[in-house]
Amino acid sequence: MENLKTLYTAIVEGDAKTAKAVAESAIAAGVPPQQLLNEIMIPAMDEVGRLFEANEYFVPELLISARAMKWALEVIKPHLIAGGAQPAGRVAIGTVKGDLHDIGKNLVAAMLEGGGFEIIDLGVDVGADQFLEAYRTKQVDIVALSALLTTTMPSMKQIIDEFKAAGVRDKVKIIVGGAPVTAEYAGEIGADGYSENASSAVTLARSLVGAG
Amino acid sequence: MNSRERVLASLRLQPPDRIPFDFALGFSPYQLAQFRARTGADDPDDYFGTDIRGVKLGPTRLRTDFSAYVGELPPGAYTDEWGKAHIPTKSDHLYHAHLEGYIFPMRNLQTAQDALDYPLPDIEAEYRYATLPAQIRGYHDRGLAVVAHMQVTIFEVAWYMRGMEALLMDFLEDSPFAETLLDRITAKRVIQARRFAQLGPDVIMLGDDVGTQRGLLMSARLWRKWLKPRLADVIAAARQANPDVLIAYHTDGDVTALVPELIEIGVQVLNPVQPECMDPFALKAQYGDRLAFWGTLGTQSTLPFGTPDDVRRDIERRIEIVGKGGGLLLAPTHMVEPEVPWENILAFVETVKTYVPSWRSAPTLETTAAP
Repeated sequence: MENLKTLYTAIVEGDAKTAKAVAESAIAAGVPPQQLLNEIMIPAMDEVGRLFEANEYFVPELLISARAMKWALEVIKPHLIAGGAQPAGRVAIGTVKGDLHDIGKNLVAAMLEGGGFEIIDLGVDVGADQFLEAYRTKQVDIVALSALLTTTMPSMKQIIDEFKAAGVRDKVKIIVGGAPVTAEYAGEIGADGYSENASSAVTLARSLVGAG
Repeated sequence: MNSRERVLASLRLQPPDRIPFDFALGFSPYQLAQFRARTGADDPDDYFGTDIRGVKLGPTRLRTDFSAYVGELPPGAYTDEWGKAHIPTKSDHLYHAHLEGYIFPMRNLQTAQDALDYPLPDIEAEYRYATLPAQIRGYHDRGLAVVAHMQVTIFEVAWYMRGMEALLMDFLEDSPFAETLLDRITAKRVIQARRFAQLGPDVIMLGDDVGTQRGLLMSARLWRKWLKPRLADVIAAARQANPDVLIAYHTDGDVTALVPELIEIGVQVLNPVQPECMDPFALKAQYGDRLAFWGTLGTQSTLPFGTPDDVRRDIERRIEIVGKGGGLLLAPTHMVEPEVPWENILAFVETVKTYVPSWRSAPTLETTAAP
């Protein structure tokens, strides 16, 4: 298990090459992928999130840790799928119609993936129809909406309203975030949750799918 | 006082006759069209009588082909002189007309040699400064203050080429590519700052967004290693060429943690001081004897979502406290976006022009001008 501690450290410190190499050797040695993910990799990203919340880590550190997590995940993913493992939940995420800012959205997606969620990234300038399509075809548990501007925040409400009009609002959790977005605004437009940053988005998503 | 005297007094921490103001990044296209339809006027600065005008570098004559770096572009896209491709929004909503995405031309580059080989623009070329003396003189003749814009100075222009995530990871990994790139940009900015300063604007505005709304974008350690010394070089070049020019620095987000070091390297004016995450009143109390503030009116809060009374109250409080004894140039913290009510724009202008703060006990120069 000494090796596995190396994997944990590699993710926390953002060393992608080591993370990948240790994941490969662990799989080769017969360590169950689910165990690697749940006992080493997700806790490592949780620690990264904790350090971010504590202002010891900043965006660059989040990015390189998320990259290390991604490289290790790519190694174990085929084995997870072969073993029939299910993700903590499926999240369709996108920056809403009219808005092309994606740095915050990408960070949230990376942290959610690090938290054990499967991510369907719809990109930027995403309208209600694309979110509904993702919901219908991908068994999505959570829809995550991002906006950077006061100008594009109303697109969030439009998307939530479209889910209502389609009669599926209660079948999916909708969470929102972005610089001008507040918890009050999230409440006003009928979202299920709001997160101030990428790290607490993981906690929020877990609580909404009952995994927290 | 005319506008220029007012701006200079306030930014030099002397009491002005009233607090100067401007519209920061101006009106968004939708808001500008509304303004023109309502007033029949063309220019919000002239119409409302803002106190300061901006000048910038003239256009480049270079026609660099960046297709090897950005690939084939979608319809409506273009590359700017740094090679960044601008992709317009797919949304046809009028409000969204000014929003665009980017393609980063340096996203796949790796080595210091790659950074050396990349075709940077000719911002230091003399012909690009040719029309500036007449422009600056023209504004000064009208009694207006002048700011020479060179925001997006080093970090932002670097990530506009590299991609923000990639550049931030470069910083953490001591990348020779990033070091070469930043050195090349800084060398050009040093020349630009010197030339700008020699031309005699009242203010030079530098800027790189290094704050998020929950604190610094990168650790202070990374900022000190990568950006602070280079910013200091640019400021020193301007200062050496013209000791009188005021140095303003723009960064969005909460950079409270960096304020002492910005002052240390010569920043005299901080912009825009986003009140949603940075407290202009506390900053005034702590640094008001060394630092002036340009901005402070929230474009995520009061300006779009408050009532005209909220706007008045915010402005009055800022004039009373942040403007006490000078040290304030009031402005929205960002562009006046489409959803800002017209009444709020009027309330902003009217209040800043007419409100008499308690610290101004003596009559103004304007009112004592009559015989």
